[in-house]
Amino acid sequence: MNPVIALPMSMLAQSGAPAVMAGPTLAHYLFISAAMFALGLIGFLTRRNLIVMFLCTELMFQAAGIALIAFSRFHLNHTGETFVIFVLTVAAAEAAMALALVVLLFRRRESLDADTWDEMSG
Amino acid sequence: MEQFIHPLVLYAACALGALGVYLALPRRNKSLHVVGGLIAAIAGGIAILGLTLASVKDHPSIYFYIFAVVALGGALRVVTHPRPVYAALFFILTVIATAGLFLLLSAEFMAFALIIVYAGAILITYLFVIMLATQAPTEDEYEGLAEYDLQGREPLAATVVGFVLLAALSTMVFRGVGQVDASHATRNTDQAMAIMPGRVETLLRREGVLQPGERIAQDQATGRFLIDPVARTVTLASGTDSNRTIPWPASLGVRNVEGLGVTLIGRHPGTIEIAGVILLMAMLGAVVLSRKQVQVDEAEKGRQVRTLAQSLAQSTADARSVGRGGTA
Repeated sequence: MNPVIALPMSMLAQSGAPAVMAGPTLAHYLFISAAMFALGLIGFLTRRNLIVMFLCTELMFQAAGIALIAFSRFHLNHTGETFVIFVLTVAAAEAAMALALVVLLFRRRESLDADTWDEMSG
Repeated sequence: MEQFIHPLVLYAACALGALGVYLALPRRNKSLHVVGGLIAAIAGGIAILGLTLASVKDHPSIYFYIFAVVALGGALRVVTHPRPVYAALFFILTVIATAGLFLLLSAEFMAFALIIVYAGAILITYLFVIMLATQAPTEDEYEGLAEYDLQGREPLAATVVGFVLLAALSTMVFRGVGQVDASHATRNTDQAMAIMPGRVETLLRREGVLQPGERIAQDQATGRFLIDPVARTVTLASGTDSNRTIPWPASLGVRNVEGLGVTLIGRHPGTIEIAGVILLMAMLGAVVLSRKQVQVDEAEKGRQVRTLAQSLAQSTADARSVGRGGTA
């Protein structure tokens, strides 16, 4: 058999996976993660609606989760997944607190515009 | 190290993506939205295509591309959609696609936890707050949208920052990285199996290795089950005969949920404690923050107290007179 073809085939035989599922590289997942993080960052910086700003931080949490789970898979242990559980907990806590704050701020100004609070920037 | 994708292709895709996202961000001119979305999609296509062509022998499965495109497209709409309710719904789409990616990484527990916690709990909270915090529409609004939803703050600077970050991150990422194991194996599964005798016994019984009346033998002194992960043997006891030792069954392996549980409890028990404390504090904080401050006028309160005392005295006097009438 042609050695160029034989090498990936032997790798497949070792992992015992069907050919269609063979190896997406770590880089694929990390690129998705980085792109999602960048989108979340852009959203957080540009949007002026307080609720959408917090939604964009959730997007960044998601991106971190993808990277952590991809690394966890790459190293073949569960530590990364354990950390994602923690990230999920923090995200839930952050959502509860932040949204309570948003409701309070909305009652004060009758607007969700973050720029109505710009006197806090000093 | 071998470069995974040519840097110029990568930077071109990033620049194109930045242009697309910039055009797609909320603004009054709607025709630019579609153009921007298309340009961003083309940029994402170039990046993923370049990634795939660079490593022809490592084709990911088709599901990876489907989930990745849905996740990134949903994320783009979260950022660019002017209506908060739609942004939240597109975020649910992103969450579900991300759960699909987690499934491809054989992290089944996290995939379902993500859907339950994010799509089921957090996003519902967001939707509630969006419903709570909406104003009555005024005349100067454009198609029922508030001004702050239509016009972003420094969209150009933010887009440049975001995509410079993406270019820098992905330059690091693409300097040749290893392959993700597509099989369901995890390392050190044998050690984890040794502390799960019930699971081993169930599997042996299902495979017909275990005779009726047999069970996994226990050490007389320590009470430990005789499952040897190093020699890969299991010792069985039947009560009457002497123990027999059988080789480790080939299908014995740790599933994702079991492995995660063992790691969580065995190696990181503090995580659970800290997570519990964080959730408790968040609950208290949310209750304190959203408690309604009831303002009661002091004079009004005094008047109420006096009225109450008068009516009480009146009713007592009535009761007394009734009682006297009864005895007479």
